[in-house]
Formats: sequence, structure tokens, C-alpha cells
Amino acid sequence: MQRILDPARIEAFAATSVPRIRLPDPASLFARRGQRLRTLAEGHSLGDYLRLMAAVADGQQVALDALRAALVAEQFAQQLGRQIELAHEHRMPLLQAAGFPRQERWRAILTELCTSIAGAPGFPAGVRSVCERIIASPGAGIETQADLLIAARTSGVDAQAAPFVMAALQVYWAAMTSSLQMSDVTQIDVPGVCPTCGTLPVSSIVRSDKRSQGYRYLHCGLCATEWHLVRITCSQCLTTEGIVYHSIEGGSAAVRAESCGQCHTYRKILYQEKDPEVEPVADDLASLALDLLMTEEGLHRGSGNPLLWQNTET
Amino acid sequence: MTDLTRRQFLKITGATLAGSSLALLGFSASVAIAEVREFKLSRTTETRNTCPYCAVACGIVMYSLGDGSKNAKASIIHIEGDPDHPVNRGTLCPKGAGLLDFVHSPSRLLRPEYRAPGSDKWQPISWDDALGRIAKLMKEDRDANFVAKTPTGLTVNRWLTTAMLAASASSNEVGYLTHKVMRSFGVLAFDNQARV
Repeated sequence: MQRILDPARIEAFAATSVPRIRLPDPASLFARRGQRLRTLAEGHSLGDYLRLMAAVADGQQVALDALRAALVAEQFAQQLGRQIELAHEHRMPLLQAAGFPRQERWRAILTELCTSIAGAPGFPAGVRSVCERIIASPGAGIETQADLLIAARTSGVDAQAAPFVMAALQVYWAAMTSSLQMSDVTQIDVPGVCPTCGTLPVSSIVRSDKRSQGYRYLHCGLCATEWHLVRITCSQCLTTEGIVYHSIEGGSAAVRAESCGQCHTYRKILYQEKDPEVEPVADDLASLALDLLMTEEGLHRGSGNPLLWQNTET
Repeated sequence: MTDLTRRQFLKITGATLAGSSLALLGFSASVAIAEVREFKLSRTTETRNTCPYCAVACGIVMYSLGDGSKNAKASIIHIEGDPDHPVNRGTLCPKGAGLLDFVHSPSRLLRPEYRAPGSDKWQPISWDDALGRIAKLMKEDRDANFVAKTPTGLTVNRWLTTAMLAASASSNEVGYLTHKVMRSFGVLAFDNQARV
């Protein structure tokens, strides 16, 4: 007897056979990033900057541990109830970053981060003065900067302070995101933005663990959610035509740039199978040489790295 | 949400880095910018296809050196199962896993060849000659053996002395065409086999 599956059932199979969403692990998210940055800094031409960002990541992990504990005590995830329903119903990000009613405590995290970095030895004098400037800044100015960073604007951004402001925002969103259940986050209609917070991905990564082996995920630069996107697809315009992979000859096989022949942009793709320690934010930042070469090829980055900002007005 | 009207795609150059967090915080990017002169980009492409061996039709990804530009000869360097393909989810059987050797095999059949009855030698033959010869032999056989009616007078219009072995990794459309063509001849025995 012939059995013909109707399209809805095939779709249902597809939805469950691939883990579509990976939520960040709050116990190790920033600690791993810090460790990776420190490893990459060895003998690196930008080693000092990577070590500064490693120190930021260490501070982020401490802040994340504390905020996570607070969110659990407040039953944050349980209180989302109706919002989860609405997000599912309208296929919208659950914790949409733009326009989100941020609680002031994210600024407390920023102050904490800046205090610890300002007190750390071994960085240029500029680092300390920026951290002190941020701590002394009025809340309203910091909130304006946060809005600009979340909107990924290229003008009006205080590029000096941006990595620290973004680092605090990352802690705030990662704490909320890691309190969610996998089923709270639903696929949205725009596959190029984060289904949890609506932010653009920093890079993509082909995972090698048992459940996700060979699947490619886009990694959110804000909340660290990872969501599945079929490989050999442009993460900007979703075409499958003219995709080319670029890497530095003799360099790491675990980091490549996936460029699109239609929209002429690229985003990096990391391969955990080639190097199990690759980390979407750290390895993207440390492969700045690849960005320089890609720009020379006339290809532009789809979205920036949260720990390195450029102001086009300067 | 990201402001799409304002957002520009990022250019990253020595000049833009001078206005980046890196430089503004007091770090130097000059060594990083200088060392890029020593680096060269290599290009690879990945192409989806269907394994040609059997009717399971597993998805494969073929990795090639070169980006398909006119002056570069593309060469397939690796083939593996397509993790995103719903049929095989990245896996391949031993035959499929050996596809790279199949592509580059020195004994790979690249053109029609003909072995005369009783001969032990294959000889090259043009497509026209090959198709002409097949058509001629089919017609001879069909003219000699076509059965229009059974001895009892029942109309059957069948041709039982020739059979057709069709491709295994065919699409629905190719299967449909195979069926139409062979049934129109009256051929009853044909098979889109899954067992090579």
C-alpha cells in the first residue's frame, strides 16, 4: 500500500529533525570567548586589542552569572507568558532589541565592566580614560549610544566607547535569552535576523557536536542565539547563486568568508570540525586580515563585529 | 530594528580602521595592515548535486578549487553528504563516499564506445553513429517481434523482446518521460532501478 505524506507532515518532520535554534549556555558563553581571544592573541598583530577584549569577556561572564541568578529569582521567563504567545502568533522576535524597555540595570553592568577594565594594568592610557568617561557619563547619553548600536547605525556612534557599551548590552540580552526555553523562540519570516532579538548575526558557524553536526548557524551579535540557515546560501539576500568561499592561503582552514555574487557582501563562516575551539565573535574579530583582503576585492561586510566599531563620519 | 535605509555595508580598510575603536583606544593597526600585503586569498566553491548511484538520490556537496572564472580551471577536490538534505542528512554509503574517485577515475567513460559482436575490444563511436545504430536495431527487432493481437484476437500492441534499463537518480519528470516513450513503443519491461 502506497503511503503519500502531505506537505504539512513533511514540514513538521523537517522542523523537528534539525535543531533550528541553539540558545547560549550562560555558564560558559563569555568565559569561552575570553579564553579563545587570549589564545588567538598569542603572536597576533592585534594581540593587545584581543587581550583587552578577553578582559572585557571575563568581566561579562562575572556580570552574566549575577544577572542570570537575579532573573531566575524574579522568574523572568515565566512572566513572559503572553509575550511568547504574541511573538509566535506574529512570527516576531520575542525580545526585540529595538525599542525594548531596557531596565536601568544594564547600565550598572556597564559601570561594573568599565570599573574593572579601568583598574586592569597593561592597556594603553586611552582605555582607562574612556572607561572613566563612560562611568561619569549621564545615563541619557549612554542610552542614546545604546540605541545607535542596537540599530547598527554607522554615524553618530562613539566608536571609542562602543565596544564597552555593546559588551554590557550583550550581557543583558544573553542573560534574558539564556533564561528562555528552546520552544519559546520561534522561526521568524526574516531568516537573516536573530529570532530572539532581531539583531544581525556577527558570523556563522558550522557546528560539529552530535545533534548539530554539519549544520550551519548564524550567531547573534547581541544575545548569542544561534539559528539554522541552510549552507551555501547568502545570509544577507538568501540567494544560492554565486556563493564563493575565500580564505587566506596558508591560514586557518576553520575561518572563511562566504561571499555572494548577487549582493556582493560577505559574512564569515567558521568550521568547528577544523578547529573545535572556534568562537563566532572572537574568531571573527581576530580574522581582521581577511576583512581587509575582502574589501580590496570589492566585497563588503554584511554587519560588523560587536567588539570593533567604525564611525564613518571620522 | 536595524535601520535599513541608513545602514551601509561595511568597508574595512586601513583608512576606516584609523577611525575604529581599535585606533581610538590607543592601539596600532599598522602591523596588521602591513602584513596583509603578504597574504593571498584562495577561493573555493561548493555545489549541491544528487548522487548518481541509486534511487535514494542522496544530496551531496561538491567542493571545488577556483571560483568558476574564465581563466581558472575548476577542479573538484572533495565530495561529502549534504547535511541539509532531508533524504540523507549528511550521510553517504560507501559507494557515495567514493564519488571523488568516480569523478577523477582514469577509466571513466567520457564518450560512447562500441564493442562489436564477438570482439573483445571497445572502440570509440560518435553520438550520431551510436544513436543511429540503436534506432536501427530497435526498429528491426520491433518489426520482427511486435505483437498487435493475441492468437485469440485480443488487441495487446506489445513488444516483449526488448527491455529498457533507465537511470536511478532521475527526477519525477524524467520518470514520466521514460514511461511515455517506452510505453509508446509497446515495451513492457523497463525499470528505474535502485540496485547498481
